[in-house]
Amino acid sequence: MRQLLRQRGGVIGLVIVVLVLAVALFGPLLAPQQFDATDLLNAWAPPDAINPLGTDKLGRDIASRLIVGAQVSLTVGLSVVLITLVVGVSAGMLAGFLGGAADRLIMGTVDIVLAFPEVVLAILLAAILGPGIATVIAALSLVWWPGIARLTRSLVLVQREEAYVQAAIVCGSTTAKILWRHILPNIAAPLLVRASVGIGFIIMAEATLSFLGLGVQEPVPSWGGMIRDGLPVLRSDPMLAVSSSVVIGLTIIGFNLLGDGLRDALDPRLRGR
Amino acid sequence: MLAFILRRIASLIPVLAVALLVTFAAIHALPGDPVQVMLSDHSADKEMAARLRAEYGLDRPLPAQFVAYLGEIASGRFGLSFRYVHQPVADVLRDGLAISPLLAVAALAMALLIGIPAGVYAAIRRNRWQDTLLILLLVAGLSIPNFAVATFLVYALSVKLAALPVAGWGTWRQAILPVLVLAIPAGAYLARLTRTFMLEVLGQDFIRTARAKGLGPRLVIWRHAFRNTLLPLATSAGVIFGGLLSHTVVVETIFNIPGLGRLAIDSIFARDYPVAMAVVLLFVLFYAGINLLVDLFYLVIDPRVREGMGA
Repeated sequence: MRQLLRQRGGVIGLVIVVLVLAVALFGPLLAPQQFDATDLLNAWAPPDAINPLGTDKLGRDIASRLIVGAQVSLTVGLSVVLITLVVGVSAGMLAGFLGGAADRLIMGTVDIVLAFPEVVLAILLAAILGPGIATVIAALSLVWWPGIARLTRSLVLVQREEAYVQAAIVCGSTTAKILWRHILPNIAAPLLVRASVGIGFIIMAEATLSFLGLGVQEPVPSWGGMIRDGLPVLRSDPMLAVSSSVVIGLTIIGFNLLGDGLRDALDPRLRGR
Repeated sequence: MLAFILRRIASLIPVLAVALLVTFAAIHALPGDPVQVMLSDHSADKEMAARLRAEYGLDRPLPAQFVAYLGEIASGRFGLSFRYVHQPVADVLRDGLAISPLLAVAALAMALLIGIPAGVYAAIRRNRWQDTLLILLLVAGLSIPNFAVATFLVYALSVKLAALPVAGWGTWRQAILPVLVLAIPAGAYLARLTRTFMLEVLGQDFIRTARAKGLGPRLVIWRHAFRNTLLPLATSAGVIFGGLLSHTVVVETIFNIPGLGRLAIDSIFARDYPVAMAVVLLFVLFYAGINLLVDLFYLVIDPRVREGMGA
Protein backbone atom coordinates (compact mmCIF):
# COMPACT_ATOMS: atom_id res chain seq x y z
CA MET A 1 0.00 0.00 0.00
CA ARG A 2 2.78 2.41 0.87
CA GLN A 3 4.46 1.51 -2.42
CA LEU A 4 1.20 2.18 -4.24
CA LEU A 5 0.83 5.62 -2.67
CA ARG A 6 4.26 6.53 -4.02
CA GLN A 7 2.97 6.22 -7.58
CA ARG A 8 1.30 9.44 -8.63
CA GLY A 9 -0.81 7.74 -11.31
CA GLY A 10 -1.82 4.96 -8.92
CA VAL A 11 -3.09 7.53 -6.41
CA ILE A 12 -5.16 9.31 -9.05
CA GLY A 13 -6.56 5.95 -10.11
CA LEU A 14 -7.35 4.99 -6.52
CA VAL A 15 -9.21 8.27 -5.98
CA ILE A 16 -11.30 7.80 -9.13
CA VAL A 17 -12.09 4.17 -8.29
CA VAL A 18 -13.10 5.00 -4.70
CA LEU A 19 -15.31 7.82 -6.03
CA VAL A 20 -17.04 5.55 -8.53
CA LEU A 21 -17.50 2.87 -5.87
CA ALA A 22 -19.00 5.44 -3.49
CA VAL A 23 -21.37 6.69 -6.18
CA ALA A 24 -22.47 3.14 -6.95
CA LEU A 25 -23.01 2.32 -3.26
CA PHE A 26 -24.56 5.51 -1.98
CA GLY A 27 -25.53 7.20 -5.25
CA PRO A 28 -29.13 5.99 -5.29
CA LEU A 29 -29.61 8.02 -2.11
CA LEU A 30 -28.18 11.11 -3.81
CA ALA A 31 -29.83 10.60 -7.19
CA PRO A 32 -31.97 13.65 -7.93
CA GLN A 33 -34.76 11.64 -9.58
CA GLN A 34 -36.09 8.11 -10.00
CA PHE A 35 -33.92 6.58 -12.77
CA ASP A 36 -36.90 5.08 -14.63
CA ALA A 37 -39.45 7.83 -14.06
CA THR A 38 -40.56 8.91 -17.53
CA ASP A 39 -41.94 12.35 -18.37
CA LEU A 40 -42.61 12.49 -22.10
CA LEU A 41 -43.59 16.15 -22.02
CA ASN A 42 -40.12 16.92 -20.70
CA ALA A 43 -38.07 14.82 -23.17
CA TRP A 44 -34.57 16.03 -24.16
CA ALA A 45 -34.77 18.84 -21.62
CA PRO A 46 -31.57 20.88 -21.20
CA PRO A 47 -29.81 20.84 -17.80
CA ASP A 48 -31.66 22.72 -15.03
CA ALA A 49 -32.09 22.61 -11.25
CA ILE A 50 -34.30 19.49 -11.31
CA ASN A 51 -32.34 17.53 -13.95
CA PRO A 52 -28.68 18.56 -13.51
CA LEU A 53 -27.67 16.92 -16.82
CA GLY A 54 -31.00 17.20 -18.61
CA THR A 55 -33.26 14.35 -19.70
CA ASP A 56 -33.31 11.64 -22.39
CA LYS A 57 -35.87 10.75 -25.07
CA LEU A 58 -38.39 9.56 -22.47
CA GLY A 59 -37.79 12.51 -20.17
CA ARG A 60 -35.80 10.42 -17.68
CA ASP A 61 -33.15 12.17 -15.59
CA ILE A 62 -29.69 11.56 -17.17
CA ALA A 63 -27.74 12.13 -13.93
CA SER A 64 -29.78 9.55 -12.05
CA ARG A 65 -29.39 7.06 -14.88
CA LEU A 66 -25.61 7.58 -14.90
CA ILE A 67 -25.52 6.77 -11.17
CA VAL A 68 -27.51 3.57 -11.56
CA GLY A 69 -25.36 2.79 -14.62
CA ALA A 70 -22.32 2.87 -12.30
CA GLN A 71 -23.92 0.10 -10.23
CA VAL A 72 -24.48 -1.98 -13.35
CA SER A 73 -20.93 -1.49 -14.68
CA LEU A 74 -19.28 -2.29 -11.35
CA THR A 75 -21.51 -5.29 -10.70
CA VAL A 76 -20.53 -6.76 -14.05
CA GLY A 77 -16.84 -5.80 -13.74
CA LEU A 78 -16.35 -7.18 -10.23
CA SER A 79 -18.44 -10.34 -10.79
CA VAL A 80 -16.59 -11.26 -13.97
CA VAL A 81 -13.20 -10.67 -12.36
CA LEU A 82 -14.13 -12.84 -9.36
CA ILE A 83 -15.57 -15.65 -11.49
CA THR A 84 -12.69 -15.69 -13.96
CA LEU A 85 -10.14 -15.61 -11.12
CA VAL A 86 -11.71 -18.62 -9.42
CA VAL A 87 -12.19 -20.60 -12.63
CA GLY A 88 -9.01 -19.49 -14.41
CA VAL A 89 -6.69 -19.91 -11.43
CA SER A 90 -8.11 -23.34 -10.55
CA ALA A 91 -7.85 -24.57 -14.13
CA GLY A 92 -4.40 -23.07 -14.65
CA MET A 93 -3.03 -24.52 -11.38
CA LEU A 94 -4.37 -27.99 -12.16
CA ALA A 95 -3.00 -27.90 -15.72
CA GLY A 96 0.41 -26.62 -14.63
CA PHE A 97 0.83 -28.88 -11.59
CA LEU A 98 -0.68 -32.14 -12.80
CA GLY A 99 0.55 -32.01 -16.41
CA GLY A 100 -0.30 -34.94 -18.66
CA ALA A 101 -3.87 -35.54 -19.76
CA ALA A 102 -5.37 -32.90 -17.46
CA ASP A 103 -2.97 -30.32 -18.89
CA ARG A 104 -3.79 -31.27 -22.48
CA LEU A 105 -7.54 -31.18 -21.85
CA ILE A 106 -7.53 -27.82 -20.06
CA MET A 107 -5.08 -26.09 -22.38
CA GLY A 108 -6.85 -27.53 -25.43
CA THR A 109 -10.06 -25.86 -24.25
CA VAL A 110 -8.16 -22.64 -23.61
CA ASP A 111 -6.65 -22.70 -27.12
CA ILE A 112 -10.05 -23.13 -28.71
CA VAL A 113 -11.59 -20.22 -26.81
CA LEU A 114 -8.57 -18.06 -27.64
CA ALA A 115 -8.93 -18.93 -31.35
CA PHE A 116 -11.96 -16.60 -31.41
CA PRO A 117 -11.42 -12.84 -31.39
CA GLU A 118 -12.60 -11.65 -27.93
CA VAL A 119 -15.21 -9.15 -29.06
CA VAL A 120 -16.70 -11.49 -31.64
CA LEU A 121 -16.99 -14.35 -29.16
CA ALA A 122 -18.56 -12.09 -26.53
CA ILE A 123 -21.12 -10.89 -29.07
CA LEU A 124 -21.93 -14.46 -30.13
CA LEU A 125 -22.33 -15.66 -26.54
CA ALA A 126 -24.40 -12.65 -25.51
CA ALA A 127 -26.69 -13.23 -28.50
CA ILE A 128 -27.19 -16.89 -27.56
CA LEU A 129 -27.72 -16.32 -23.85
CA GLY A 130 -30.10 -13.44 -24.42
CA PRO A 131 -30.02 -9.97 -22.92
CA GLY A 132 -29.66 -9.11 -19.22
CA ILE A 133 -27.03 -8.48 -16.55
CA ALA A 134 -26.64 -12.15 -15.58
CA THR A 135 -26.06 -13.28 -19.16
CA VAL A 136 -23.57 -10.48 -19.82
CA ILE A 137 -21.62 -11.67 -16.78
CA ALA A 138 -21.77 -15.27 -18.03
CA ALA A 139 -20.70 -14.35 -21.58
CA LEU A 140 -17.77 -12.19 -20.48
CA SER A 141 -16.63 -14.80 -17.93
CA LEU A 142 -16.54 -17.44 -20.66
CA VAL A 143 -14.40 -15.17 -22.81
CA TRP A 144 -12.07 -14.08 -20.00
CA TRP A 145 -11.08 -17.16 -17.99
CA PRO A 146 -8.69 -18.73 -20.56
CA GLY A 147 -6.27 -15.79 -20.41
CA ILE A 148 -6.05 -16.11 -16.62
CA ALA A 149 -5.71 -19.90 -16.84
CA ARG A 150 -2.79 -19.56 -19.27
CA LEU A 151 -1.03 -17.00 -17.06
CA THR A 152 -1.57 -19.13 -13.94
CA ARG A 153 -0.25 -22.24 -15.67
CA SER A 154 2.97 -20.52 -16.72
CA LEU A 155 3.47 -19.20 -13.18
CA VAL A 156 2.85 -22.65 -11.67
CA LEU A 157 5.29 -24.31 -14.07
CA VAL A 158 8.07 -22.11 -12.67
CA GLN A 159 7.09 -22.68 -9.03
CA ARG A 160 6.75 -26.45 -9.43
CA GLU A 161 10.51 -26.81 -9.87
CA GLU A 162 11.29 -24.81 -6.71
CA ALA A 163 12.76 -26.64 -3.74
CA TYR A 164 9.90 -25.79 -1.38
CA VAL A 165 7.35 -27.45 -3.66
CA GLN A 166 9.56 -30.52 -4.14
CA ALA A 167 9.95 -30.69 -0.36
CA ALA A 168 6.20 -30.53 0.14
CA ILE A 169 5.71 -33.33 -2.38
CA VAL A 170 8.32 -35.48 -0.63
CA CYS A 171 6.66 -34.82 2.73
CA GLY A 172 3.48 -36.32 1.29
CA SER A 173 1.30 -33.20 1.26
CA THR A 174 -1.89 -33.56 -0.77
CA THR A 175 -2.04 -31.85 -4.15
CA ALA A 176 -4.83 -29.58 -2.93
CA LYS A 177 -2.75 -28.49 0.06
CA ILE A 178 0.35 -27.84 -2.03
CA LEU A 179 -1.59 -25.75 -4.54
CA TRP A 180 -3.62 -23.81 -1.98
CA ARG A 181 -1.12 -23.31 0.84
CA HIS A 182 2.23 -23.28 -0.90
CA ILE A 183 1.95 -22.28 -4.54
CA LEU A 184 -1.00 -19.85 -4.55
CA PRO A 185 0.56 -17.31 -2.14
CA ASN A 186 3.67 -17.25 -4.32
CA ILE A 187 1.83 -16.48 -7.54
CA ALA A 188 -0.83 -14.18 -6.07
CA ALA A 189 0.87 -10.86 -6.89
CA PRO A 190 0.94 -11.10 -10.71
CA LEU A 191 -2.60 -12.54 -10.68
CA LEU A 192 -3.83 -9.62 -8.60
CA VAL A 193 -2.29 -7.15 -11.03
CA ARG A 194 -3.86 -8.98 -13.95
CA ALA A 195 -7.26 -8.88 -12.23
CA SER A 196 -7.09 -5.17 -11.43
CA VAL A 197 -6.11 -4.26 -14.98
CA GLY A 198 -8.85 -6.60 -16.19
CA ILE A 199 -11.70 -4.75 -14.45
CA GLY A 200 -11.30 -1.74 -16.71
CA PHE A 201 -11.37 -3.85 -19.83
CA ILE A 202 -14.37 -5.86 -18.62
CA ILE A 203 -16.30 -2.67 -17.92
CA MET A 204 -15.39 -1.60 -21.45
CA ALA A 205 -16.59 -4.93 -22.87
CA GLU A 206 -19.90 -4.68 -21.00
CA ALA A 207 -20.40 -1.17 -22.36
CA THR A 208 -19.57 -2.41 -25.87
CA LEU A 209 -22.18 -5.17 -25.67
CA SER A 210 -24.79 -2.76 -24.32
CA PHE A 211 -23.81 -0.25 -27.00
CA LEU A 212 -24.47 -2.89 -29.67
CA GLY A 213 -27.82 -3.68 -28.05
CA LEU A 214 -26.75 -7.12 -26.82
CA GLY A 215 -26.12 -6.31 -23.17
CA VAL A 216 -28.13 -4.81 -20.35
CA GLN A 217 -31.64 -3.93 -21.52
CA GLU A 218 -34.12 -1.14 -20.81
CA PRO A 219 -35.31 0.14 -18.44
CA VAL A 220 -32.09 -0.69 -16.56
CA PRO A 221 -29.57 1.94 -17.65
CA SER A 222 -26.05 1.10 -18.79
CA TRP A 223 -23.43 3.57 -19.93
CA GLY A 224 -22.93 1.82 -23.27
CA GLY A 225 -26.66 1.81 -23.99
CA MET A 226 -26.92 5.50 -23.05
CA ILE A 227 -24.20 6.38 -25.58
CA ARG A 228 -26.07 4.41 -28.24
CA ASP A 229 -29.29 6.31 -27.45
CA GLY A 230 -27.42 9.61 -27.55
CA LEU A 231 -25.48 9.16 -30.81
CA PRO A 232 -28.33 9.75 -33.28
CA VAL A 233 -29.25 13.04 -31.61
CA LEU A 234 -25.68 14.26 -31.13
CA ARG A 235 -26.42 17.33 -33.24
CA SER A 236 -29.44 18.56 -31.27
CA ASP A 237 -29.01 17.08 -27.77
CA PRO A 238 -25.35 16.13 -27.18
CA MET A 239 -25.70 15.97 -23.37
CA LEU A 240 -26.67 12.27 -23.12
CA ALA A 241 -23.89 10.81 -25.32
CA VAL A 242 -21.19 13.20 -24.15
CA SER A 243 -21.87 12.89 -20.40
CA SER A 244 -22.02 9.09 -20.51
CA SER A 245 -18.83 9.00 -22.62
CA VAL A 246 -17.02 11.16 -20.06
CA VAL A 247 -18.18 9.03 -17.14
CA ILE A 248 -17.22 5.70 -18.69
CA GLY A 249 -13.88 7.05 -19.95
CA LEU A 250 -12.96 8.40 -16.51
CA THR A 251 -13.97 5.18 -14.74
CA ILE A 252 -11.85 2.97 -16.99
CA ILE A 253 -8.91 5.40 -16.79
CA GLY A 254 -9.22 5.13 -12.99
CA PHE A 255 -9.10 1.33 -12.98
CA ASN A 256 -6.20 1.24 -15.45
CA LEU A 257 -4.14 3.80 -13.50
CA LEU A 258 -4.80 1.81 -10.31
CA GLY A 259 -3.78 -1.42 -12.05
CA ASP A 260 -0.57 0.13 -13.41
CA GLY A 261 0.24 1.57 -9.98
CA LEU A 262 -0.38 -1.79 -8.36
CA ARG A 263 1.89 -3.51 -10.90
CA ASP A 264 4.71 -1.05 -10.31
CA ALA A 265 4.27 -1.30 -6.53
CA LEU A 266 4.26 -5.10 -6.50
CA ASP A 267 7.12 -5.55 -8.96
CA PRO A 268 10.38 -4.77 -7.19
CA ARG A 269 12.25 -4.60 -10.50
CA LEU A 270 10.25 -1.54 -11.54
CA ARG A 271 10.80 0.40 -8.32
CA GLY A 272 12.72 3.63 -8.59
CA ARG A 273 11.99 3.95 -12.29
CA MET B 1 11.35 -23.64 -43.51
CA LEU B 2 8.60 -25.18 -45.63
CA ALA B 3 8.34 -28.04 -43.15
CA PHE B 4 7.92 -25.55 -40.34
CA ILE B 5 5.14 -23.73 -42.17
CA LEU B 6 3.33 -26.97 -42.92
CA ARG B 7 3.67 -28.15 -39.32
CA ARG B 8 2.37 -24.82 -38.10
CA ILE B 9 -0.66 -25.02 -40.42
CA ALA B 10 -1.31 -28.62 -39.40
CA SER B 11 -1.36 -27.61 -35.73
CA LEU B 12 -4.11 -25.11 -36.57
CA ILE B 13 -6.44 -27.74 -38.03
CA PRO B 14 -7.76 -29.32 -34.79
CA VAL B 15 -8.36 -25.90 -33.24
CA LEU B 16 -10.17 -24.66 -36.35
CA ALA B 17 -12.21 -27.87 -36.56
CA VAL B 18 -13.42 -27.54 -32.97
CA ALA B 19 -14.02 -23.81 -33.48
CA LEU B 20 -16.20 -24.73 -36.46
CA LEU B 21 -18.15 -27.25 -34.39
CA VAL B 22 -18.55 -24.78 -31.50
CA THR B 23 -19.73 -22.03 -33.85
CA PHE B 24 -22.22 -24.40 -35.49
CA ALA B 25 -23.62 -25.48 -32.12
CA ALA B 26 -23.67 -21.90 -30.84
CA ILE B 27 -25.48 -20.50 -33.85
CA HIS B 28 -28.08 -23.27 -33.67
CA ALA B 29 -28.58 -22.46 -29.98
CA LEU B 30 -29.61 -18.90 -30.85
CA PRO B 31 -33.21 -18.29 -29.78
CA GLY B 32 -36.00 -18.00 -32.36
CA ASP B 33 -37.19 -19.99 -35.38
CA PRO B 34 -35.71 -18.61 -38.62
CA VAL B 35 -38.45 -20.15 -40.77
CA GLN B 36 -41.08 -18.18 -38.84
CA VAL B 37 -39.04 -15.02 -39.42
CA MET B 38 -38.77 -15.78 -43.15
CA LEU B 39 -42.50 -16.44 -43.46
CA SER B 40 -43.48 -13.34 -41.47
CA ASP B 41 -46.97 -12.67 -42.94
CA HIS B 42 -47.52 -16.24 -44.06
CA SER B 43 -46.69 -17.82 -40.71
CA ALA B 44 -49.86 -19.94 -40.80
CA ASP B 45 -48.90 -21.48 -44.17
CA LYS B 46 -47.75 -24.97 -43.10
CA GLU B 47 -46.95 -26.13 -46.63
CA MET B 48 -44.71 -23.18 -47.36
CA ALA B 49 -42.96 -23.61 -44.01
CA ALA B 50 -42.28 -27.28 -44.81
CA ARG B 51 -40.95 -26.38 -48.26
CA LEU B 52 -38.59 -23.75 -46.82
CA ARG B 53 -37.44 -26.16 -44.11
CA ALA B 54 -36.62 -28.73 -46.79
CA GLU B 55 -34.82 -26.21 -49.01
CA TYR B 56 -32.63 -25.11 -46.09
CA GLY B 57 -32.19 -28.65 -44.78
CA LEU B 58 -33.66 -27.60 -41.42
CA ASP B 59 -35.87 -30.71 -41.35
CA ARG B 60 -32.84 -32.98 -41.06
CA PRO B 61 -31.13 -33.98 -37.80
CA LEU B 62 -28.35 -31.65 -36.59
CA PRO B 63 -25.42 -34.00 -37.38
CA ALA B 64 -26.68 -34.32 -40.97
CA GLN B 65 -27.02 -30.52 -41.14
CA PHE B 66 -23.43 -30.21 -39.92
CA VAL B 67 -22.12 -32.57 -42.62
CA ALA B 68 -24.12 -30.69 -45.25
CA TYR B 69 -22.65 -27.43 -43.92
CA LEU B 70 -19.11 -28.79 -44.30
CA GLY B 71 -19.92 -29.47 -47.96
CA GLU B 72 -21.24 -25.92 -48.32
CA ILE B 73 -17.99 -24.53 -46.88
CA ALA B 74 -15.94 -26.67 -49.24
CA SER B 75 -17.95 -25.36 -52.18
CA GLY B 76 -17.39 -21.80 -50.96
CA ARG B 77 -21.12 -20.98 -50.82
CA PHE B 78 -21.48 -21.21 -47.03
CA GLY B 79 -25.13 -22.23 -47.35
CA LEU B 80 -28.18 -20.09 -48.10
CA SER B 81 -28.99 -16.84 -46.33
CA PHE B 82 -32.21 -16.75 -44.31
CA ARG B 83 -32.80 -13.03 -44.68
CA TYR B 84 -32.06 -12.75 -48.40
CA VAL B 85 -34.10 -15.83 -49.22
CA HIS B 86 -32.55 -18.26 -51.78
CA GLN B 87 -29.28 -16.28 -51.94
CA PRO B 88 -25.99 -18.06 -51.12
CA VAL B 89 -24.21 -16.57 -48.09
CA ALA B 90 -21.07 -16.01 -50.19
CA ASP B 91 -23.01 -13.53 -52.36
CA VAL B 92 -24.27 -11.66 -49.29
CA LEU B 93 -20.73 -11.42 -47.91
CA ARG B 94 -18.96 -10.51 -51.13
CA ASP B 95 -19.47 -6.73 -50.98
CA GLY B 96 -18.36 -6.36 -47.37
CA LEU B 97 -15.57 -8.91 -47.39
CA ALA B 98 -12.68 -6.53 -48.05
CA ILE B 99 -13.94 -3.61 -45.93
CA SER B 100 -13.15 -4.89 -42.43
CA PRO B 101 -9.58 -6.06 -43.22
CA LEU B 102 -9.02 -2.81 -45.11
CA LEU B 103 -10.12 -0.72 -42.12
CA ALA B 104 -7.95 -2.81 -39.80
CA VAL B 105 -4.86 -2.52 -42.05
CA ALA B 106 -5.28 1.24 -42.41
CA ALA B 107 -5.73 1.59 -38.64
CA LEU B 108 -2.67 -0.57 -37.93
CA ALA B 109 -0.57 1.55 -40.31
CA MET B 110 -1.76 4.73 -38.58
CA ALA B 111 -1.15 3.23 -35.14
CA LEU B 112 2.39 2.19 -36.07
CA LEU B 113 3.19 5.59 -37.59
CA ILE B 114 2.03 7.46 -34.48
CA GLY B 115 2.66 4.95 -31.71
CA ILE B 116 6.26 3.96 -32.39
CA PRO B 117 7.78 7.47 -32.64
CA ALA B 118 5.74 8.51 -29.58
CA GLY B 119 7.03 5.54 -27.60
CA VAL B 120 10.66 6.13 -28.62
CA TYR B 121 10.33 9.83 -27.77
CA ALA B 122 8.86 9.04 -24.33
CA ALA B 123 11.70 6.59 -23.64
CA ILE B 124 14.34 9.18 -24.54
CA ARG B 125 12.67 11.80 -22.35
CA ARG B 126 12.09 9.32 -19.54
CA ASN B 127 10.77 10.83 -16.29
CA ARG B 128 10.71 14.35 -17.72
CA TRP B 129 7.47 16.22 -18.21
CA GLN B 130 7.17 15.19 -21.87
CA ASP B 131 7.24 11.54 -20.77
CA THR B 132 4.66 12.05 -18.01
CA LEU B 133 2.33 13.93 -20.36
CA LEU B 134 2.62 11.22 -23.01
CA ILE B 135 1.96 8.45 -20.47
CA LEU B 136 -1.22 10.19 -19.31
CA LEU B 137 -2.37 10.58 -22.93
CA LEU B 138 -1.64 6.91 -23.59
CA VAL B 139 -3.63 5.72 -20.57
CA ALA B 140 -6.54 7.86 -21.74
CA GLY B 141 -6.23 6.53 -25.30
CA LEU B 142 -6.26 2.96 -24.03
CA SER B 143 -9.07 3.46 -21.53
CA ILE B 144 -11.77 5.36 -23.36
CA PRO B 145 -13.95 2.88 -25.28
CA ASN B 146 -13.87 3.36 -29.04
CA PHE B 147 -17.55 4.27 -29.26
CA ALA B 148 -17.00 6.99 -26.67
CA VAL B 149 -13.98 8.29 -28.63
CA ALA B 150 -16.19 8.21 -31.72
CA THR B 151 -18.82 10.26 -29.89
CA PHE B 152 -16.28 12.98 -29.05
CA LEU B 153 -14.73 13.05 -32.51
CA VAL B 154 -18.04 13.09 -34.36
CA TYR B 155 -19.31 15.82 -32.05
CA ALA B 156 -16.19 17.97 -32.39
CA LEU B 157 -15.17 17.38 -36.02
CA SER B 158 -18.45 16.61 -37.78
CA VAL B 159 -21.15 18.41 -35.79
CA LYS B 160 -19.34 21.48 -34.46
CA LEU B 161 -16.71 22.08 -37.15
CA ALA B 162 -18.52 20.29 -40.00
CA ALA B 163 -15.07 19.24 -41.25
CA LEU B 164 -15.85 15.55 -41.87
CA PRO B 165 -18.93 13.50 -42.73
CA VAL B 166 -20.79 12.01 -39.75
CA ALA B 167 -21.11 8.51 -41.20
CA GLY B 168 -21.33 6.48 -44.38
CA TRP B 169 -18.91 4.72 -46.71
CA GLY B 170 -17.57 5.32 -50.18
CA THR B 171 -15.30 8.37 -50.15
CA TRP B 172 -11.90 8.65 -48.47
CA ARG B 173 -13.19 11.46 -46.26
CA GLN B 174 -15.74 9.06 -44.80
CA ALA B 175 -12.94 6.64 -43.92
CA ILE B 176 -10.88 9.11 -41.83
CA LEU B 177 -12.93 9.03 -38.62
CA PRO B 178 -13.48 5.24 -38.48
CA VAL B 179 -9.77 4.57 -39.07
CA LEU B 180 -8.79 7.17 -36.49
CA VAL B 181 -11.20 5.73 -33.90
CA LEU B 182 -9.74 2.27 -34.46
CA ALA B 183 -6.15 3.51 -34.45
CA ILE B 184 -6.22 5.51 -31.18
CA PRO B 185 -6.26 2.64 -28.64
CA ALA B 186 -3.97 0.54 -30.85
CA GLY B 187 -1.50 3.40 -31.20
CA ALA B 188 -1.56 4.08 -27.47
CA TYR B 189 -0.89 0.42 -26.73
CA LEU B 190 1.97 0.30 -29.26
CA ALA B 191 3.51 3.48 -27.85
CA ARG B 192 3.46 2.04 -24.35
CA LEU B 193 5.07 -1.19 -25.48
CA THR B 194 7.70 0.67 -27.51
CA ARG B 195 8.56 2.80 -24.48
CA THR B 196 8.94 -0.25 -22.23
CA PHE B 197 11.05 -2.18 -24.76
CA MET B 198 13.22 0.86 -25.50
CA LEU B 199 13.87 1.49 -21.79
CA GLU B 200 14.93 -2.14 -21.44
CA VAL B 201 17.33 -2.00 -24.39
CA LEU B 202 18.71 1.43 -23.53
CA GLY B 203 19.88 0.09 -20.17
CA GLN B 204 22.08 -2.58 -21.75
CA ASP B 205 25.84 -2.63 -22.09
CA PHE B 206 26.10 -2.47 -25.86
CA ILE B 207 24.28 0.85 -25.85
CA ARG B 208 26.82 2.26 -23.40
CA THR B 209 29.57 0.90 -25.67
CA ALA B 210 28.02 2.55 -28.71
CA ARG B 211 27.73 5.84 -26.86
CA ALA B 212 31.31 5.55 -25.58
CA LYS B 213 32.52 4.99 -29.14
CA GLY B 214 31.21 8.47 -29.82
CA LEU B 215 28.29 7.55 -32.04
CA GLY B 216 25.63 10.25 -32.40
CA PRO B 217 22.42 9.92 -30.40
CA ARG B 218 20.31 9.37 -33.52
CA LEU B 219 22.46 6.44 -34.65
CA VAL B 220 22.49 4.87 -31.17
CA ILE B 221 18.74 5.17 -30.73
CA TRP B 222 17.52 4.03 -34.15
CA ARG B 223 20.32 1.71 -35.34
CA HIS B 224 21.28 0.07 -32.06
CA ALA B 225 18.38 0.36 -29.64
CA PHE B 226 15.25 0.50 -31.80
CA ARG B 227 16.28 -2.46 -33.97
CA ASN B 228 16.26 -4.69 -30.93
CA THR B 229 12.67 -3.80 -30.11
CA LEU B 230 11.42 -4.93 -33.53
CA LEU B 231 10.92 -8.58 -32.61
CA PRO B 232 8.68 -8.08 -29.55
CA LEU B 233 6.90 -5.27 -31.40
CA ALA B 234 6.13 -7.58 -34.32
CA THR B 235 4.46 -10.10 -32.01
CA SER B 236 2.38 -7.35 -30.46
CA ALA B 237 1.45 -5.93 -33.85
CA GLY B 238 -0.07 -9.31 -34.69
CA VAL B 239 -2.16 -9.34 -31.52
CA ILE B 240 -3.18 -5.73 -32.12
CA PHE B 241 -4.26 -6.48 -35.67
CA GLY B 242 -6.53 -9.25 -34.38
CA GLY B 243 -8.06 -6.82 -31.89
CA LEU B 244 -8.51 -4.16 -34.58
CA LEU B 245 -10.27 -6.63 -36.82
CA SER B 246 -12.82 -7.57 -34.18
CA HIS B 247 -13.34 -3.93 -33.16
CA THR B 248 -14.41 -3.16 -36.73
CA VAL B 249 -17.72 -4.67 -35.57
CA VAL B 250 -18.26 -1.67 -33.30
CA VAL B 251 -16.85 0.97 -35.62
CA GLU B 252 -18.83 -0.25 -38.62
CA THR B 253 -22.00 -0.08 -36.52
CA ILE B 254 -21.25 3.49 -35.38
CA PHE B 255 -20.35 4.84 -38.80
CA ASN B 256 -22.86 2.77 -40.77
CA ILE B 257 -20.20 1.02 -42.87
CA PRO B 258 -21.37 -2.05 -44.84
CA GLY B 259 -18.53 -4.36 -43.76
CA LEU B 260 -18.41 -7.85 -42.27
CA GLY B 261 -18.71 -6.64 -38.69
CA ARG B 262 -21.96 -4.78 -39.15
CA LEU B 263 -23.23 -7.69 -41.21
CA ALA B 264 -22.54 -9.98 -38.23
CA ILE B 265 -24.56 -7.79 -35.86
CA ASP B 266 -27.38 -7.25 -38.36
CA SER B 267 -27.65 -10.96 -39.14
CA ILE B 268 -27.68 -11.91 -35.44
CA PHE B 269 -30.60 -9.55 -34.87
CA ALA B 270 -32.33 -10.72 -38.06
CA ARG B 271 -31.78 -14.39 -37.08
CA ASP B 272 -29.87 -14.92 -40.33
CA TYR B 273 -27.77 -17.71 -38.81
CA PRO B 274 -25.88 -18.87 -41.92
CA VAL B 275 -24.53 -15.35 -42.49
CA ALA B 276 -23.65 -14.83 -38.81
CA MET B 277 -21.87 -18.18 -38.75
CA ALA B 278 -19.87 -17.46 -41.91
CA VAL B 279 -18.74 -14.09 -40.53
CA VAL B 280 -17.63 -15.60 -37.21
CA LEU B 281 -15.71 -18.33 -39.06
CA LEU B 282 -14.06 -15.77 -41.32
CA PHE B 283 -12.95 -13.77 -38.27
CA VAL B 284 -11.48 -16.93 -36.69
CA LEU B 285 -9.66 -17.68 -39.96
CA PHE B 286 -8.30 -14.13 -40.27
CA TYR B 287 -7.16 -14.35 -36.67
CA ALA B 288 -5.34 -17.65 -37.23
CA GLY B 289 -3.81 -16.31 -40.43
CA ILE B 290 -2.41 -13.27 -38.65
CA ASN B 291 -0.76 -15.39 -35.97
CA LEU B 292 0.75 -17.57 -38.68
CA LEU B 293 2.14 -14.50 -40.45
CA VAL B 294 3.69 -13.26 -37.19
CA ASP B 295 5.45 -16.60 -36.73
CA LEU B 296 6.78 -16.43 -40.28
CA PHE B 297 7.97 -12.89 -39.67
CA TYR B 298 10.02 -14.27 -36.75
CA LEU B 299 11.77 -16.61 -39.13
CA VAL B 300 12.64 -13.81 -41.49
CA ILE B 301 13.79 -11.31 -38.89
CA ASP B 302 15.54 -13.46 -36.29
CA PRO B 303 18.33 -15.82 -37.37
CA ARG B 304 18.29 -17.48 -33.93
CA VAL B 305 14.77 -18.81 -34.49
CA ARG B 306 15.76 -20.00 -37.96
CA GLU B 307 18.70 -21.98 -36.66
CA GLY B 308 16.84 -23.38 -33.68
CA MET B 309 14.31 -24.84 -36.10
CA GLY B 310 16.73 -27.09 -37.89
CA ALA B 311 17.74 -28.82 -34.66
